[in-house]
Amino acid sequence: MPSANGSDKEIQPMTRSIIGGAAAFSNSTYFYSALSVSMLFLIWIGTTQWLAVVSTKLLPSPVSLFNEFLVISRSGYAGTTLLGNILASFFRMVLGFTLSAAVAIPVGIAMGMSGKVRGFLAPIFNGLRPVPSIGLIPLMVLWFGIGQTSKVAVIFLASFLFVVLNTAEGVRSVPVGLMRAAANLGAGRVQMFWRVVLPASLPAIFTGLKTGLAVSWAVVVAAELLGAQRGLGFMIEDAATFYRIKVVYIGLILIGLIGIAMTAAINALERRIVHWVGKS
Amino acid sequence: MAYLEISGVDKVFGTDGKPGQKVLALEGINFAVEQGEIYALLGPSGCGKSTILEIVAGFERPTRGTVLFDGARITGPEPERAMVFQQPNLFPWLTVIDNVMFGPRVQGQSDMRAAAKRAGHLLEICGLGGFEKRYPYQLSGGMRQRVAIVRVLMNNPRVLLMDEPFGALDALTRLTMQELLLAIWGELKPTIIFVTHDVDEALFLADRVGVMSRRPGRMKREVGVEIGRPRDVDVMITPKFTALKSMLIHELRNEAQATDGAPQDHTKILTG
Repeated sequence: MPSANGSDKEIQPMTRSIIGGAAAFSNSTYFYSALSVSMLFLIWIGTTQWLAVVSTKLLPSPVSLFNEFLVISRSGYAGTTLLGNILASFFRMVLGFTLSAAVAIPVGIAMGMSGKVRGFLAPIFNGLRPVPSIGLIPLMVLWFGIGQTSKVAVIFLASFLFVVLNTAEGVRSVPVGLMRAAANLGAGRVQMFWRVVLPASLPAIFTGLKTGLAVSWAVVVAAELLGAQRGLGFMIEDAATFYRIKVVYIGLILIGLIGIAMTAAINALERRIVHWVGKS
Repeated sequence: MAYLEISGVDKVFGTDGKPGQKVLALEGINFAVEQGEIYALLGPSGCGKSTILEIVAGFERPTRGTVLFDGARITGPEPERAMVFQQPNLFPWLTVIDNVMFGPRVQGQSDMRAAAKRAGHLLEICGLGGFEKRYPYQLSGGMRQRVAIVRVLMNNPRVLLMDEPFGALDALTRLTMQELLLAIWGELKPTIIFVTHDVDEALFLADRVGVMSRRPGRMKREVGVEIGRPRDVDVMITPKFTALKSMLIHELRNEAQATDGAPQDHTKILTG
């Protein structure tokens, strides 16, 4: 971004690499990313195909995986197309995650704004925090059966705390200076909320949503491992039972790739919406 | 009765039921500011001069004493008593023009077109014409502080409360900002209370300078700056200015010595 008066505030490349972190993706960082991926791929091809030192029963070669991928993308798996399985998982996640965010954001805001609400809910949330959401799956099945509801409930719970706690923290840490400036300019309580507290909390809310989304995607697969008729988790579990190792690998790789795509999408959304973050 | 009257004000922090030690920040503060006057509060850091502004702005209540503005007690923040903070405190998610229009919008001013016109005019005066659509992070520090000033001027304040607003700027930018402030004052004649620890700044801007002691902050003395207006940078080298400057520096030096025991020679070198 060109700075307005000519004094260049842009961080120089050297400083950037010292600061490091996800914000400092330069050409050389991309180079090393490409390097690691190609190395992994070469080792994979080398050990399974060229040297054949690893049993393809345990780790199929990339070429045979790709052929299997073509097969199941044409004929589907267990009566459902591959895309159907992907979308089944995806919509489960979207449903659970959206419901979760829709409840968690208002609750988090209430916690951030009121010490009473915070005091009331803190013991419950603090008690839930160390419980892994996957550990709740049996309970959810007991409560809601093995259908869609129990899976959506698990996803809901998995992302809920991340969004609630980040939102509450974001609301609590709205800079006093901004609130005083707004009050001084004539903002009342309602305007203070909509025009200052909420936008100032958006970066923290986004942080919660990003973690919640990643966790939701991981958990949907886990939830499908126990009883589902479709979905990527179901596909992996079912294929493992019938010893179709290639399908297991394809399922895992797809989960990873879709996860990467979702992260990229929400990061792009974040850069658009909370564009001011990290720029001073 | 003076326009703004601060009488017998004490401020003790830690009396609002929160745990922690009680700190006497201000003790027996008395001063009065006339309408259209520029009054500088000069004192070492931590002397509570910002707290006085926060009380006048309505962010803090005095523990004892009264603050009367135009005959009425101050009960809370109001746009007519506009605060310019040390930090610009611009809303980072709003563009320059949306920051400036924040006041008229939240107050539901009826004539938005007139407000927008005024915004354009004030931005132009402050050298921000053409930057309306920029975001605060795309501006330099001096420009951000100018946006903050325009933002409060939009509300036609009767008093400007300025809390070391140029303290974070480099020396040259600071000088430009001081001249700009005097130009704005020349046009709109608001009453200004200006908090600073910079003797040059206090003398260059103010009609009177109130010197404060270290914590607990007390008013030590008040000095009238009888230098004509309009002022430009050349007044800073007049004998009158340097005499006042020397006196104020000694005043502050004594204050530092009273508690620090700072070596005398140290400040002698600085003042020549």
